[in-house]
Amino acid sequence: MLLQLNNIFKWVNSGGQRIFLLKDINLTVAEGEFISVMGPSGSGKSTLLNVIGMLDNFDEGEYSFLNEPVHTLKEKNRANLYKQYIGFVFQSYHLLDDLTVKENLEMPLLYKKVGSSERKSLVADTLDRFNIVGKKDLFPSQLSGGQQQLVGIARALISSPKLILADEPTGNLNSKQGEEIMELFKQLNNEGVTIIQVTHSEKNATYGSRTINLLDGRQINALNG
Amino acid sequence: MFKNYLKIAWRNLWKNKGYSAINVGGLALGMAVTLIIGLWIQDELSHNSYFKNKDSIAQVFQSQTFNQETGTGPAIPRPLEKVLRDGYADNFKHLVMSSWNISRYLRYKEKSLSKTGNFMQREAPEMLDLKIIKGEKDGLRELNSVMLSESVSHALFGNEDPIGKTLKVNNQYDVMVTAVYEDIPFNNSFNDVEFLMPWDKMIATQEWMKNAEDQWGNNSFQMFVQIADNSTMEKVTEAILNVKKNANEDTAEFNPKIFLFPMKDWYLRGNFENGEQVGGRIKYVWLFGIIGAFVLLLACINFMNLSTARSEKRAKEVGIRKSIGSQRNQLINQFLSESFLVVLFAFIIAVIIVLLSMNGFNDLSKKEISFPWNSTNFWVVLLVFITITALVAGSYPALYLSSFRPVDVLKGTFTSGKYAGLPRKILVVLQFTVSVAFIIGTVIVMQQINYAKNRPVGYDKAGLVQIPTFSQDFEGKYDLMRSEFLNSGAVIEMSASSSPTTQIWSNRSGFDWEGKPEGFQEDLAWTEVTPEYVKSLGMKIVDGRDFSREFATDSNAVLINRTAVKYMGIKDPVGKFLKDDDEEDPGPPLKIIGVVEDMITQSPYEPVKQGVYVFDKHGNSSFYNLRLNPNQSASQNMAIIENVFKEHFPSLPFQYDFVDDEYGEKFAAEERIGTLSGIFTALAILISCLGLFGLTSFVAEQRTKEIGVRKVLGATVFNVWNMLSKDFLKLVIISCFIAIPISYYVMNGWLQDYPYHVILEWWIFAFAVIGSLAITILTVSFQAIKAANANPVKSLRTE
Repeated sequence: MLLQLNNIFKWVNSGGQRIFLLKDINLTVAEGEFISVMGPSGSGKSTLLNVIGMLDNFDEGEYSFLNEPVHTLKEKNRANLYKQYIGFVFQSYHLLDDLTVKENLEMPLLYKKVGSSERKSLVADTLDRFNIVGKKDLFPSQLSGGQQQLVGIARALISSPKLILADEPTGNLNSKQGEEIMELFKQLNNEGVTIIQVTHSEKNATYGSRTINLLDGRQINALNG
Repeated sequence: MFKNYLKIAWRNLWKNKGYSAINVGGLALGMAVTLIIGLWIQDELSHNSYFKNKDSIAQVFQSQTFNQETGTGPAIPRPLEKVLRDGYADNFKHLVMSSWNISRYLRYKEKSLSKTGNFMQREAPEMLDLKIIKGEKDGLRELNSVMLSESVSHALFGNEDPIGKTLKVNNQYDVMVTAVYEDIPFNNSFNDVEFLMPWDKMIATQEWMKNAEDQWGNNSFQMFVQIADNSTMEKVTEAILNVKKNANEDTAEFNPKIFLFPMKDWYLRGNFENGEQVGGRIKYVWLFGIIGAFVLLLACINFMNLSTARSEKRAKEVGIRKSIGSQRNQLINQFLSESFLVVLFAFIIAVIIVLLSMNGFNDLSKKEISFPWNSTNFWVVLLVFITITALVAGSYPALYLSSFRPVDVLKGTFTSGKYAGLPRKILVVLQFTVSVAFIIGTVIVMQQINYAKNRPVGYDKAGLVQIPTFSQDFEGKYDLMRSEFLNSGAVIEMSASSSPTTQIWSNRSGFDWEGKPEGFQEDLAWTEVTPEYVKSLGMKIVDGRDFSREFATDSNAVLINRTAVKYMGIKDPVGKFLKDDDEEDPGPPLKIIGVVEDMITQSPYEPVKQGVYVFDKHGNSSFYNLRLNPNQSASQNMAIIENVFKEHFPSLPFQYDFVDDEYGEKFAAEERIGTLSGIFTALAILISCLGLFGLTSFVAEQRTKEIGVRKVLGATVFNVWNMLSKDFLKLVIISCFIAIPISYYVMNGWLQDYPYHVILEWWIFAFAVIGSLAITILTVSFQAIKAANANPVKSLRTE
């Protein structure tokens, strides 16, 4: 078991009313799963993803990641945890505009304090693996959307995380590019990486092994949740 | 990692050239000001550091009380030496009697120079630790010896070996050169001691000095000491405080206190008020220190404001970095390294600015400052300086930027919130408060200088030249020279006097007169003059008559000034007598024949001192005062005068001063401060405006869309300009309200130091407010009008 959410609640208070963003979410994710989170806009998909990714807090419930109780950890330990095990892929890629492809890939390794020579070889391997060696000195603005997302995924993977969290990774891409990205996810999943993706597309959801549907912050049909 | 930070920082700087220029430029200006002020302060504080024994050397000072007023000064009586040597020798390592710094003509063969130096006792070179270049350190041992500074020796002897050569002093006596010492550097007391001669030589050649040996009331000498190794200034002062009173009962009524004034205080803390030490130049060290710190702060504020204003641009980067594993302190480090880089750039530019402006600054401040590149301490201080600046400028932006939550900023819904701009506004208010206060301060300093300059001086200082006549050669030549000069056509009137027109060299007391209040202890400025004095200076007689050669009795006549009439409490002074109250040997009574208009001889900021002008019957003149022929140019006149002078005194150098220039010297200190504070104020305003300019352009950019929408809905250029300018004008007005009371308080305090000063008027403050508003409007309008004129179609399409 990779992570487990028990009775997660998240809310905001607005005008004296409590509005629930997440309501009683229960979820267990095993290693090697490929989960799609679906639901209409505002249903809490991204919030759920951020909570899993430890970028966002929740108000009630328990969350354990690799048997570590996340809700009791300090900010710093939490950062260490996700730095090591979690990679993010964003809809709008979120590459650092001022850095080249190579430097963008290097970034997470720097934060993990990986030594210089190991860093170089990891970056070279990754460039090779994603077939972007020729683009290593380009800046993000010089790449197409699909290429940028490729770099985004490569960056998420470079520190060999156990879990990839992807928030509508194909949302800004045309269908052909989108398909390539999804194929890549599939392949990664086959290599053993756990993936949780948020998506609007039924078609993309079919790449996953399981789908969670959200509506107004609630799960509506968790298959064997 | 650090390399990565710098890379990002560099690319960021390069990409936003406009902001970078404002940031780096503003910081560079601020740092340049701080650097130059720092060097100036260092120079001020290192005064007298040439003297190894700086901490144990002191001058013996005396304070005495006349009419409830306590005066303090370095003048002491001769018998004090014997008392201290006999009874208190343990307290001192060295004790040295000294004359004032006086000028003497030194002649070697045909070459004659006028140089200033002191007559001091034998231990002086040892105490001051003079660096001997040639000859012996104990060079004042023999009565007829002289020690010369290197440059004087060079001027007189060129490459000849001066040791053992004979000089003629004032054409009066011969002395032999025993030593040459290194010139005492500019930044030190005794800097103008160009020669040293034995104290005993002065006594031997001057009758009045011999007489002063037992005169406790004749305070005409100086004494320098080095205290014993195991003692302190306080201990010695305690021991000798009442020696004069105890040794001579007659002086007890003036309550004379003898104390040590330590060398380290001479330059910076040399002011005394009612017998208490009350600071001095140190206040300008503080003043400029504060100015430097504020100017730097202004530049740092620019950096903070521009960094945080652009936070929305950096927010995404923060979000991404956090989501790929950066911790907050790593981001703080990143932003701090960025500010470090900017500060480093700014520093390099600042050093270049300082190097380029060094000469100008030295001229203005009358200093010889340079970068002490070879000093390790200097580099340490620079490093600390850069680090502190980077921390001050960078901490707030680093803390602010690194606090963003990735979820907020990556969602793309991030806005800085309603109050995010508040610290920025407070900082702008702080900047303009400082600028407005600087404006007010500078205007008041300038006003005060002008006020004192426009004060009537009581004589006509234009076209008046004075020639010093210390040499023996001038003795008995006055009448001859007067007729020679008058006949030459270059001079229309001439007189001689015992002190220069712009100073008081002598004060007297011990007189009685009709109506003198009981127990009144008078103190009168005393100038001996020839009968033509009033005419040659262009002074005004307000009562009675001028001196005249036609009345033989005028040799015992005096003129007094207007203030003296009031001071002495004489009604109808003309015809009354000043009687010498010395019981043993009274001089003849002096008849007051006239009253002259007050003439400013001392500080133009202080009331004129009560003065007496005495008919000079002994030929005690120290100066010739020449009224130049107004129908010829000054250079023509001076050429003629020089010829006449050379004809009669071929061996003397022709020396002269325009009284105008001498008088102008009195304003030098204040003018320097006025000019410097004017420059620093201009820079402070420039830096603040630079920041404001950056902020407006940022705000205009941020509101491009809003402006587009407004214009589509019918807003005019004026509406938009008004909208963008109003916010900043409000801030500046708030600044004015803070700055006015503060600067009023401070400047009012400053003016109180000057008995003769301007009254603070409301228009000064109004001027500062209007001036700063005008500057703000100019700065803001440039961007505001540009934004308002932009084509709305364009700005709306960019979305």
